Amino acid sequence: MLQCIFIISNSGEVILEKQLQGHRADRSLCNWFWEYAMTQGGELSQLLPVIASPTHYLFQIFREGIIFLACTQVEMPPLMGTEFLCRVADIISDYLGGLNEDLIKDNFVIVYELLDEMVDNGYPLITEPNILREMISPPNIVSKMLSVVTGRSSNVSTTLPVATQSCAPWRKTDIKNSGNEVYVNLVEEIDAIVRSDGNLVKCEIYGEIQVDSNLSGYPDLTLSFANPTILNDVRFHPCIRFRPWELYQLLSFVPPNGQFKLMSYRVKKLKSIPIYVKPQLISSSGSCRMTVLVGTRNDPGKPIDSITIEFHLPSCVTSADFTSNHGTVNILADKRCSWSIGRIPKDKAPSLTGNLVLESGLSSLHVCPVLQAKFKIMGVALSGLQIDRLDVKNMPTQPYKGFRALTRAGEYEVRS
Amino acid sequence: MFPQFGATAESLSKASSLVFRIGTDAHLYDDPDDVSIAPLLDSSFDSEKAEALKRLLALIAQGEDVSNFFPQVVKNVATPSSEVKKLVYLYILHYAEKRPNEALLSINCFQKDLSDANPLVRAWALRAMSGIRLHAIGPIALVALSKCAKDPSSYVRKCAANALSKLNDLHQEENASSLEELVSILLNDHSPGVVGAAAAAFNSICPNNLSLVGRIFRRLCETVPDVDEWGQIALINILLRYVIARHGLVEESIMASSHPSENSDSRRELFSIPAPDRGSILVEVEPSEHIMRELMLRHYIEGPEQYSSRQIDAKEDDNGSNNNSYFTSIENNDVKLLLQCTSPLLWSQNSAVVLAAAGVHWVLASQMDMENIVKPILFVLRSSYASRYVVLRNIQIFAKAMPSLFSAYHEDFFVSSSDSYQMKVLKLDILSTIAAESSIPFILQEFQDYIKDPDRRFAVDVVAAIALCVKNLPSVAKTCLEGLLAIVKQESSIKHYGSLEGEAGVLIQAIMSIKTIIKQDPANYEKVIVHLIRSLDNIKEPSARALIIWIVGEYSDVGHIILKIIPVVVSYLGQCFSSEELEAKHQILNTVAKIVLSAQGEEHELFRKVLFYILDLAKVDLNYDIRDRGRMIEKLVTSQPKISHQEGILHVEPDSILLDELLKNMFCGKIQSVTGAINHFRLYLPGSLSQIVLHAAPGYTPLPQPCSLPEMALENRMSQDGIEAANSSDSSYEGSQSSYYDSEGSIPSPVDGENPDSGSESDVADNDHYMLRGANGSPDATAIGQLIHLTDTSIHDGTAKQSTAENNTSSATDLTNLMSKSALESWLNEQPCLPSVNSSADPSRERSSARISINEIEVSVKPKLNVLLEPANGNGLRVGYSFTSEISKISPLLLCVEIVFENLSPEPLKKISLRDEGSTANPEFATQAFGIHDSALEPSKVPTIVPMEEIDSLHPGDMARSILQVHFHHHLLPLKLAIYYNEKRHPVKLQPDIGYFTRPIAMDLNAFTKLENHLRGMFEYSRRCTFADHINIVDQEKGQSSLNDDKILLICRKIAAKMLSSASIHLVSVDMPILLKFDEVSDLCLRFSSEILSNSKPCLITVTAEGKCSEALDISVKVNCEETVFGLNLLNRIVAFLSSNSVS
Repeated sequence: MLQCIFIISNSGEVILEKQLQGHRADRSLCNWFWEYAMTQGGELSQLLPVIASPTHYLFQIFREGIIFLACTQVEMPPLMGTEFLCRVADIISDYLGGLNEDLIKDNFVIVYELLDEMVDNGYPLITEPNILREMISPPNIVSKMLSVVTGRSSNVSTTLPVATQSCAPWRKTDIKNSGNEVYVNLVEEIDAIVRSDGNLVKCEIYGEIQVDSNLSGYPDLTLSFANPTILNDVRFHPCIRFRPWELYQLLSFVPPNGQFKLMSYRVKKLKSIPIYVKPQLISSSGSCRMTVLVGTRNDPGKPIDSITIEFHLPSCVTSADFTSNHGTVNILADKRCSWSIGRIPKDKAPSLTGNLVLESGLSSLHVCPVLQAKFKIMGVALSGLQIDRLDVKNMPTQPYKGFRALTRAGEYEVRS
Repeated sequence: MFPQFGATAESLSKASSLVFRIGTDAHLYDDPDDVSIAPLLDSSFDSEKAEALKRLLALIAQGEDVSNFFPQVVKNVATPSSEVKKLVYLYILHYAEKRPNEALLSINCFQKDLSDANPLVRAWALRAMSGIRLHAIGPIALVALSKCAKDPSSYVRKCAANALSKLNDLHQEENASSLEELVSILLNDHSPGVVGAAAAAFNSICPNNLSLVGRIFRRLCETVPDVDEWGQIALINILLRYVIARHGLVEESIMASSHPSENSDSRRELFSIPAPDRGSILVEVEPSEHIMRELMLRHYIEGPEQYSSRQIDAKEDDNGSNNNSYFTSIENNDVKLLLQCTSPLLWSQNSAVVLAAAGVHWVLASQMDMENIVKPILFVLRSSYASRYVVLRNIQIFAKAMPSLFSAYHEDFFVSSSDSYQMKVLKLDILSTIAAESSIPFILQEFQDYIKDPDRRFAVDVVAAIALCVKNLPSVAKTCLEGLLAIVKQESSIKHYGSLEGEAGVLIQAIMSIKTIIKQDPANYEKVIVHLIRSLDNIKEPSARALIIWIVGEYSDVGHIILKIIPVVVSYLGQCFSSEELEAKHQILNTVAKIVLSAQGEEHELFRKVLFYILDLAKVDLNYDIRDRGRMIEKLVTSQPKISHQEGILHVEPDSILLDELLKNMFCGKIQSVTGAINHFRLYLPGSLSQIVLHAAPGYTPLPQPCSLPEMALENRMSQDGIEAANSSDSSYEGSQSSYYDSEGSIPSPVDGENPDSGSESDVADNDHYMLRGANGSPDATAIGQLIHLTDTSIHDGTAKQSTAENNTSSATDLTNLMSKSALESWLNEQPCLPSVNSSADPSRERSSARISINEIEVSVKPKLNVLLEPANGNGLRVGYSFTSEISKISPLLLCVEIVFENLSPEPLKKISLRDEGSTANPEFATQAFGIHDSALEPSKVPTIVPMEEIDSLHPGDMARSILQVHFHHHLLPLKLAIYYNEKRHPVKLQPDIGYFTRPIAMDLNAFTKLENHLRGMFEYSRRCTFADHINIVDQEKGQSSLNDDKILLICRKIAAKMLSSASIHLVSVDMPILLKFDEVSDLCLRFSSEILSNSKPCLITVTAEGKCSEALDISVKVNCEETVFGLNLLNRIVAFLSSNSVS
């Protein structure tokens, strides 16, 4: 089981440590880890999640510049370690409204208290955000001001949340909300790989159903889809009952209060993509001309927003200059280029042209950058998944029900 | 011009950040020790204490050692403020290991908090207390734990389950059994959250005690979906292990598919009928897959030490596993149930749960159902970056064992630019493993794109993967070779690599891959070789050149075209020799030598010329290695042509034949494919840490031996098929209980039917019973019957004896060596703690002990005779008394004291009577008083006696006995009596003995331990003393018997006799160590039970002895009794008489 959790900044400073077991893990472990990370090229986001150090097995995740490092000395499911760290990161980020070194330092007491409730003897204890919120109140403006004015503050609850006892630990029974509404958002990410000739290698959609529920009492919801058969893979929030899904593809659940991810799904083998990106590389004697064209394909019916094209120049390119007829191009220090287009204008197709100067001795570019496209389409679920209806039971009055959809680019890659 | 504006702006931004940080603990983190912390800690305000503690916490966070504040912090644990309390607990837990002794100071507060009305406070206290790593705290924590395990709040129970493994870490062997018992209680909990935590505790405390699971298997399966996600992981792991241990492997599963059994053919037919499309997969198992599956079967089951031992005697036949009873069918109810209850987990949000559930299916599910796990685990690939890597590592193994499973999903393994290098390589490996005829065109197309990857390391791997694909699918060899040649051409066009490291690697790897493909069928790929030779001019990279030159030498005699161009090539090599790099020079020397050796006809002379030219160059080379090699080749080659060319000389030196052969072997030996690398490759269970780090991590346990739990067959069927057995634990408990009575009819264990917790204990007994029954037929009874139990049978009724008699026949034979027959009256089949059937378990952790029954003990029980009246004082009348355990006929509250009168005077004594001096000695009053003994109104609390009959006369030398019945009212003051005889009055004092203020109650061990568990904590007192009575006897015995066991037995009897003769108690059981060290007693444990005379409260005594046989033993006496004062007095009394040296 987990022995210790360290939170490390991206400059290698240990922000805090929390020993979880009687056997303490020494801080020198972090030094080892940091040296190891440096030998691996220093790219923190590419480090292996499971590392065997001479004394401990380390699990680490990297989130927004913060490394969450946990260690153990005995066999345990490695995914349990990393998944738990992900939860820790999620919850801390949720509490502090983001993750960065200063936020953690400023609220270190809360982080300690959270960690203490989340894990007992190295074994996850409470990871349900709703319960944790009841046990330890998140910092907010009111409590901050109150603590300044009165000089005292306590964010530790004195009572045990009722939900710890119930068989639906995600919801307390006596919720009273002023609002009476439930929102269902379909948030989809489109993953695609397009070859340089424009052929689609693969295209699939990873979607999440995010629910924001503000219902009082103990509501029982049933969500049904018009076309559930298009779903290839699904993963559910623990509140979903398995049987109705198995039998009728219905999502029947008692929702947690507030925002949560009800399910995630995948729709594979899509045939159409909303935008096209056409890169072209023509090499001639030590230099290379690069042009990129972007345009709408298979109009989704809604405007495509905040289109950005990003790519990494290969290391053999010594210098490059780009011009575009629309949007701005930036070349960062690590040879990362980013072309932000925004919305595609009606009158012209945005294009980027540039000259790459190759390293001496290289007559043509033999490695090709991969272009990543980012965009957002509001109001459309590109997978075509349709929510049929949402029934709410156990409620005196029917709540307001809202539905929204959003598609954005996930791993949308175009090879050149 | 506006410097002040700049300053303002700066201060403004400072101010804004200040505002932003207001109310947070930022200042505490930044300057934790800007004020003195110590006075704050002593402050009387909670807010100041909290601030001080936060400062300490900040220092801890920054890695400072602030343990010197420990005493001051501990003081604050008694605070009512929850925030301060929480902070103190955080602090204490951080330093608990470092300063355990100071942590002890807080124990009282924890104990107080443990009985707090707020469950949160109870849980915190339990967590803090169990976190202190001090051996002494073990028993106290255990008491708290057993209390919390029955807490009404499931949160507290959950914390108790987590605390179990903390206690287990303290390595307190004496508590091991109680910990296991608690695990079993918590596993039976009705709250799913607790079950999950208990499952984790089970894994750390008693992972091999799978029989614990057997009884509740079905219920656990049904709870799985409701358990919290972390608990699910632990729980399904236990359930999987149980199913394997209980039923064995599933014969339709992938694990068994490598297993050659007689009915394998019929099985395959069976399979191909319902699924003709997949049937082919089953029949055509590639040899590599087959090896993989076989490895899996072996590695999943055998532990690291078995593995290494097998490495030593490498060729061990695994006939042991070719046993059909090893396998069960997919139709097995338990298997079905487990698969059924774990399949919804494949939809879990938690990747760890998905992988754990997939692991269960991987081991148990039939190959046809394996499809179910593929999509869920592939979907995990879209979740967090960390889980991607781990899942890919597992898929890699899955794919190697069953490529067909993933071949349809090759798209999921297409590399994305955001993947890290390791992940790309993994995906590549999986892709080349699962490539099938249908998917290979897509995969190769992908590979073409990958070769253009900016990360050239990856490009090298891609090129290598191409060769792997060809190995699996020879049909694509042509396309691949074309592609590879194109790469060679392209790469060789790069004149100068400059900073492009790895570029050369791509080229070299491309040629290597070509070489690998050619090797499979050289004659067919003649043109490819020619192609390579022609590109020699362009290729500058020395290693690449060396490789091509090697290929030339190796395949110089293949086909027709090569033969034709060889002379050109050889001359070319001769020309460029001097300008080559070292590597290439070596290969040129070798290649030309090879060609010379194999060449025939007219070209031979040319080759020789070139060779000698090269050799001449080599002799003056700068590099010594080239010079040496040149000389060596020259010597070898010059001796060779004598045989092949000078036909005139008929006699052939035998030496040169040898030489010829040597040369042929050295230079022309065909390469033998190297296999067997797979044997050094070790597999671990899917989803385990060991599988990721590729060595057995500490605590890694393989699957249990299949079918290692067979004795439970009967019990299991009962729980499976019994009438509604699965529906409620209560009914299954009743069912098994009744059968227990039916079949055995032996000692009825006092089981409280209304208490749901008691079910588990009686089930344990039940279980044992079956285990013993199973052992009856088998010859190795010792393995199972590690505990032997004998009890004071005189108290039990006849049925017990009957049952012991039948058991005698089975197990006694083996154990007669251990114990002398005279001492052993009978065997009872009670085993309170289950011996682990798994013989691989650590023997030191099992307390092997025997329980003996001493029937004869009655003989040696001699109640101590006290003197009431010395003959000197009483004119020749000696009066003695001894307490008896007889129960008075008048009232159960009365003690019977046997009074012995002896006339030592020469003349008869008359009218002897004994009267109470203290009270009014009114017989009427006394009888009346005892007639209403149960009335609480009884005013008199002074000891009273029931007057005894007068003895008319006692002749000289005669003895008379009579029974005096006394009610002491628990007074320990001497009872003043007067003896009247010959009309004279002699005042005497009767010393009461607290040891006889109790009454023996018969109970069996289960009842005893149960009762003991209720009487923990403040109801438990113990003291130590020494016991030396046995020394004389042991010494005497030495001459007669050399057997150690008898010594122990003797000691044991001695202690028992002493206990029984000094107190009115019942001997419940004796635990004797079986694994004896010479002349040493350890774990000798005697248990006695009794109840207090006046209020019938139970009083339990446990005597544990340790030490050497020949020396005084270290005895610890423990009394569990609700009546604190009585218990302590009794304890003192027992210690007093045990340590007193009797003169017998």
